[in-house]
Amino acid sequence: MSSTRNRIAGYAFASPWLGGLVLLYLFPFAASLYWSFCRYDLINPPQWIGGENYTRLADEIATGTGFGQALANTAYYAAVGVPLSILLGITLAVLLSLPVRGQAIFRTLFFLPSVIPVVAASILWMWLLDPKEGIVNYGLASIGLGTPGWLQSSGDMFSTFWRTGTFAPGSKDALVLMSLWGVGNFMVIYLAALGDVPKSLYEAAQLDGAGAMRRFLHITLPMLTPIIFFNLVMGLIQSVQAFTQIYIVSEGRGSPAGSTMMISLQLFLSAFQHLDMGYASAVAWLLFVLLLVATLLLFRTSRRWVYYGG
Amino acid sequence: MNRSTFQIAAILLLLAVVAYAASRGDNRQPPTPPHRNEVLFWHFWGGADRTTVEEIVRRFNASQDQHFVRAVAMPGNNLDLKFFLAVAGGDPPDLLNIDDPVIADWGARGAIQPLDAFAPADEVEQAAAWLFPAARRLATYDGRLYALPNGLDVRALYYHQTMLDQYGLKPPQTLAELDQIEATIAPPGAASYERHGYLPDSRRLWAWGYVFGGQFYNEATHQVTADDPQLIAALEWMVGYRQRYGPAEIAAFRQGDQSLPGKAFPLLAGRYAVVMDGQWRVRDIRAFQKAQQERGEPLTEFGVCPLPPPRGGLQRAGWVNGNNFVVPRGANNAAGAWAFMKFWSGLGHEAEAAKTCVAGGWIPVSAQVAQQAEFQTFLQAEPMFAQFVDLAGSENQYPVPVVPAGAFFNNEIKSVAERAMLRAAAPDCRTMLQDATRVIQRQIDAAQENDR
Amino acid sequence: MKLNLAEKVLAYAALLLAAVLLAGPLAILFFSSLKTPAEIQSNPHALLPQIWRWENYGDAVTAMPFFLYLRNTLLICLGSVIGTVISCSMAAYAFSKLQWPGRNLLFGVLIGTMLLPWHVTMIPRFLLLREVGLYNTLGALIVPTFLGDAFSIFLLRQFFRTIPEDLSEAARIDGLGEWGIFWRIILPLSKPAVATVALFQFIAAWNDFSGPLLLLSDKRNFPLAYGLEQFVSSYSDQTHLLLAAATLFTLPIVILFFLTQRTFLKGIATTGLK
Repeated sequence: MSSTRNRIAGYAFASPWLGGLVLLYLFPFAASLYWSFCRYDLINPPQWIGGENYTRLADEIATGTGFGQALANTAYYAAVGVPLSILLGITLAVLLSLPVRGQAIFRTLFFLPSVIPVVAASILWMWLLDPKEGIVNYGLASIGLGTPGWLQSSGDMFSTFWRTGTFAPGSKDALVLMSLWGVGNFMVIYLAALGDVPKSLYEAAQLDGAGAMRRFLHITLPMLTPIIFFNLVMGLIQSVQAFTQIYIVSEGRGSPAGSTMMISLQLFLSAFQHLDMGYASAVAWLLFVLLLVATLLLFRTSRRWVYYGG
Repeated sequence: MNRSTFQIAAILLLLAVVAYAASRGDNRQPPTPPHRNEVLFWHFWGGADRTTVEEIVRRFNASQDQHFVRAVAMPGNNLDLKFFLAVAGGDPPDLLNIDDPVIADWGARGAIQPLDAFAPADEVEQAAAWLFPAARRLATYDGRLYALPNGLDVRALYYHQTMLDQYGLKPPQTLAELDQIEATIAPPGAASYERHGYLPDSRRLWAWGYVFGGQFYNEATHQVTADDPQLIAALEWMVGYRQRYGPAEIAAFRQGDQSLPGKAFPLLAGRYAVVMDGQWRVRDIRAFQKAQQERGEPLTEFGVCPLPPPRGGLQRAGWVNGNNFVVPRGANNAAGAWAFMKFWSGLGHEAEAAKTCVAGGWIPVSAQVAQQAEFQTFLQAEPMFAQFVDLAGSENQYPVPVVPAGAFFNNEIKSVAERAMLRAAAPDCRTMLQDATRVIQRQIDAAQENDR
Repeated sequence: MKLNLAEKVLAYAALLLAAVLLAGPLAILFFSSLKTPAEIQSNPHALLPQIWRWENYGDAVTAMPFFLYLRNTLLICLGSVIGTVISCSMAAYAFSKLQWPGRNLLFGVLIGTMLLPWHVTMIPRFLLLREVGLYNTLGALIVPTFLGDAFSIFLLRQFFRTIPEDLSEAARIDGLGEWGIFWRIILPLSKPAVATVALFQFIAAWNDFSGPLLLLSDKRNFPLAYGLEQFVSSYSDQTHLLLAAATLFTLPIVILFFLTQRTFLKGIATTGLK
């Protein structure tokens, strides 16, 4: 085993990525940490201002303005969207694993929405969810659910229901709906995992007289927990990073009434419209730390409920 | 697998070749003639206005032997953002036309150049005296002109004369009369409404604030004054409508406006007796009446009046915005940009500009353009539009304060009003405006410290 | 496990309902893009158009420099696919087939970069690309792909690991260098994985919106995804053209998906199996 040769070759083969790591990650990472303590507008040189950007962030979180508002919106989007995507992903995968004919066609149809470009999907949904002309409200009205405002209403489903007892999804719910439409990626992963569950387990359970529901809860679900965990982490990251659809449906402004001003958009606008790179860098770093903490917490709790078989 | 990969690659390659061939037809821009300096000009106009813009560019290029304007339409949201990225990226256009309140922001940061940095001092001085007061306010930051406006957008009240007549009402001259119109046409307490007399729009706190005699910013002390008692009064007046009709009704009725077929002017649909809007709606009204005429229906009558002030408020007041020409730092051909903006705005080209304003249905930025015979003829034929031009010349028309973080200022005020109008549980107006004052002040301070 | 008749009926009902809800919007998009403007106004809820107006597509294509945008999109797609395949397969080879100090640590770092929100590096990246003169060129979107990307490296590494070490050893004994082993043995055996990575990158580049938004300013360089956004703002009242443009933009991806469905779904399934 010629280890020196291997060593040099190792670095040589990894060198494009290593270069990328330094240029596209380490340098930006360090630079944005430094800028988060500066005032910087991209044109004039950065100016050290200490922790001012961070105290402003704390203030905004306390008052629910700026970053605070964006954080609340993003939290809503993730807290509603991720659990629903898990639920929907598993449901669809289970349906696709039923032993009936034509599953290949159904699988294709279920997955198709997740390859649709986000820009096109946004255009489509803006039209489908139009409060007056859209087909969604046409359907809802015909089953007596009224004509909610969707992307044109700043309220959200839960607080409106809490206050008035009516079903009136708003802009954030519309974005959740759009994200659920593209649940196909997770669905395919669940489907693969379902295929990996040993048949013998089911057969044994059936011999013991376990019904379909019991089999699902005691065999299938535990086998899926690693994927649910993966879905949870990736879903959280995707919710926080979602940008294109939000930019397009909110006209790049978080409208109506800032209800779709999510962290990604707020950060982008702070940087390139309010020309406040320092503040935007602080937002990015805080976001990174929050995500890291959330992911670590998930990893910690995962030991209790994620089942790694085999 | 191998074969299908190969097929896909072949298809892609074929597509690329086809697209490449076809794209040559998409480069429809004429080349810059030899011995002329190109002026790369970004604007946001689309639709019918785009044709007018292209015509102006054609006329300018025909009048020139030195410069050649290449106009690029950049429709889409956040043109300001894209422009700033281009300046920061080191590859800006030579000239930009923009209607967002960003002059101060960019001026303070050196992203755009003051006019005197590239234009002769006497011409700049002449321009300042030549502009309407509202236009001058729009383009002045820190005592210097940073832009040359080429059009103003003025707001006034459009009224549905036929509907007012039905109820025995007159166009409002005071705020109390406007309230009376709403109370008569839509008495509070109904379950839902087919029409309203007038509903204040949350975006209009700017306009009503100025009409109430308030000011959002004090130039002398550099202090945000969004908690000015007159502004609180204006917001309270707007919120009074929310209290009478409920936020749900207001939101639902506004939503109804949005979903009119083809985003039509709600006044024409008879949803309101009075609506605040800009001069461009005159065109819509005339088109509507023409269609009525062709169908042989009786004509619906409309009219325009200034925003009616409350007691102690300002006459012919309101919020104005407009289009500005700005030249970015790093522009290759600032001289050409200056020549073109003078040509369009009409500084020293008044007759040309009058022609442009007639063609586009635009409000000029100077009395000297407005006084041109061609424009006067146009106004005589269109008295509603003449009202707007009259307002444009008023001393009491103000833009969003030209201060750094102006876009933030603008959004924050609108967002306060939107929350106040649409949320039942909104805090009182004074608290909201005080909070906004604090937030905006901090943003402006931060932006101003930056350029010192 | 067999289903009885009632269960079968129930299963089909559920499958059909889900299919209508998920694929229905696409059918609506396609058919509505063929309606006349008047019909979209008057009859937005019928699925099939009364008059099939294929001209909508022609109108949409002429309303914007469609082929120019398409050319830019394809250039970005092809360039970034080449970049990703080269850089990522090399890095994956280093991470799976070679022993070198720091390998495991760096692999952890690689996974870490997947979790990093793009916002953190967005501004410095912008400045970096400006400094090297790539701002407002297609290169700004292509060159960085030659520096690898964590997801594709991970995917390729998982595949390379399944190739028996004996093959490499045998080649070494035959006197083949590492490059030779990589190029002549590992890569040819990994065509399915490389195809998956290429496919994913192609679609990512086709769909990318925030990259062009940040890095391109000249209209002549815009790709379709970005051109379409501008189209939305300038033709917001012409729904038939918007839908036709959205369909045109979507169709190639749908066709590509149908052609490569197996590779595609297999690739996605592997990403979940860490």
